[in-house]
Amino acid sequence: MTAAFEKTRTICGYCGVGCTVDVLTRDNRIIGIQPAMDGPANEGALCVKGQFAYDYVHHPDRLRHPMVRNADGVLERATWKQALRKAAAGFLQSAERHGRHAVYGIASGRTPTEADYMMQRFMRAGFGTHFIDNCSRA
Amino acid sequence: MSNPLSDMELPDVAFCIGTNMTEAHPVAATRLKKALARGSKLIVADPRRIHLATLADLYLPLRVGTDVALLQGMAHVIVRDGLMNDHFVATRTQHLETYLEHIAKFTPEWAESICEVPAADIAKAARWYAEANQGAIYYTLGITEHICGVDNVQCLCNLALLTGQIGRPGTGLNPMRGQNNIQGAGDSGAIPDQYPGFQAVVDPDYRRKFSKAYGREMDAAKGITKVTAMEEAGRDIFAMLIDGENSVVSDPNQQHTREAIESLEHLVVIDIFLSETAEMADVVFPATAWAETDGTFTNTERRIQRVRQAVTPAGEARPDWWIISRIAQHMGLQNFDFNHPREVFNEMCSLSTTYAGVDWDLAATGRYHWPVPYRGHPGTPRLHEDSFPIGRGKFSLIEYRDPAETVDETYPIWLTTGRRLATYHTNTQTGRAGGMDYLAAEEALEVNPRDLEAWDLQDGETVWLSSRRGRIAIKVAGSKRSPMGTVFSSFSFSDTPINTLTGSGYDPVTHTAELKVCTVRIDKMAVADTVGG
Ligand code: SF4
Repeated sequence: MTAAFEKTRTICGYCGVGCTVDVLTRDNRIIGIQPAMDGPANEGALCVKGQFAYDYVHHPDRLRHPMVRNADGVLERATWKQALRKAAAGFLQSAERHGRHAVYGIASGRTPTEADYMMQRFMRAGFGTHFIDNCSRA
Repeated sequence: MSNPLSDMELPDVAFCIGTNMTEAHPVAATRLKKALARGSKLIVADPRRIHLATLADLYLPLRVGTDVALLQGMAHVIVRDGLMNDHFVATRTQHLETYLEHIAKFTPEWAESICEVPAADIAKAARWYAEANQGAIYYTLGITEHICGVDNVQCLCNLALLTGQIGRPGTGLNPMRGQNNIQGAGDSGAIPDQYPGFQAVVDPDYRRKFSKAYGREMDAAKGITKVTAMEEAGRDIFAMLIDGENSVVSDPNQQHTREAIESLEHLVVIDIFLSETAEMADVVFPATAWAETDGTFTNTERRIQRVRQAVTPAGEARPDWWIISRIAQHMGLQNFDFNHPREVFNEMCSLSTTYAGVDWDLAATGRYHWPVPYRGHPGTPRLHEDSFPIGRGKFSLIEYRDPAETVDETYPIWLTTGRRLATYHTNTQTGRAGGMDYLAAEEALEVNPRDLEAWDLQDGETVWLSSRRGRIAIKVAGSKRSPMGTVFSSFSFSDTPINTLTGSGYDPVTHTAELKVCTVRIDKMAVADTVGG
């Protein structure tokens, strides 16, 4: 066990204020969060969520592998290859049967912007449609 | 927000409407408190006596869903009492004459008859805001989650235009965005009517630009909203890719959403937990969580900031952008061979107008508020300093409309929903963070203590709460925050799925659900109901 910890500068993932924090890690686990005194949005302040609500990252319930619904209708562990093939085949099949306007994408307001950009790129480049939205409406 | 967060320390009058800021955006509230400590005045309009209301110099306890009446009443007073900023309206606005005629009928007495705030207080709020050197408006979902969400926002714009409280430090129209990167999601084009950087999909020039960039012809027409897509599931929509969104719990009218998702042929969900929605999927992909991936977030003041990986991902979890690009490749699509978030972000910047002047490395400085229209541009912390995107600001003519449902004999109580400090959205994250459980272990319905008595209920009693769409069991808790006749719950717990009840209507323009208001009834449980549970 190493006594030293590492610090990573990042942004709190809980609300739109976007406080700058330093994540403290040791042995690849988060052991604490510190507010950044020079964070432009927070200038050293943090709220209870930003400060303490990080245990979920290491929670045992985290999804650790892809899953695919089997012939009996049960979700079971799959390899990336199996899952990617099945995901892709399903979209192609629905588009073939019902047209390219049968596929819809919902992006997240919590993921990094790159995820949202890729989601709209997938719908627009993949199907030529604007059948894309994010969760801000509900 | 039109103005940066640092401006929150500046206004001499802050008007907060429909924002539970101390719970939903605590650090922003801290900045506002610095202004209050200096002697600035605070006006709070909210149906519930939230914590912010207790700090207010003037509290306007309006009835749920009547913001338009209150705001039009304020505008009327500003015009009537000669509090208008004549120079600003003359040089920066248009269609003033029509607006002045329109606003004449919305007297504060008329407003009082609808929103139940005394006319004198409406007039006082109008005067304080208009006469301030620096007057700023702050709002959140309490304004937008209504069938008239757009009307509400336009009424606020009218106030800012009339008084010139915009485009200067410590002023502005400042919506506080809820989720950490909801701003980035819109900026990136994950919306049915705009490409990245808010370039309208109906504009032929942008259509040409993106058809070329993405190597296929784009539709000329707008897409459909998520609300419409859910309605058309099983009829026109047959496959969905959902990223990190627990629609089954967070969407209004839960039974409807569940049926919609069940009727799909193909559902792929990307998430960090096996959420209720992921459990219904054909394929589930494990995504990296916060602190496990590199990328960018854009905050509520339009500031672009870098997020960084601090720990290795759980199990085989991969970044969302990687998963989506690999699905695309397995479908045989070209040009999806992205290998680093830098490549993804830089492509977006190259196609965006608002991000055109930044890239991955500049984003790391955290110094840029969009728009950053070209390389070398310093960014735009404050919008509308010299002009509006459409040139001169336009007044909107708004009529008051009742909420989609109003109380009647069968459903005599108003229900309003919101967030709590210690929980986050549908609680898939905070519900699993050990530190949070003790703060909000169980949801309760906040009921005014006098209503508890009148309705013959005990504090802590479990009751049936029903609307036209469903029924849930929930504990009641006496709270003076709730006005009489109005009850409150958050939507963070799937044990008490409050969104089984909501969803009475949508804003016709934005399709934002009216989560803030619906009508309900409370029934005592029969002994048989309580024994088993
Ligand atoms: S620390 Fe609190 S206020 Fe700051 S971004 Fe996180 S949740 Fe929002």
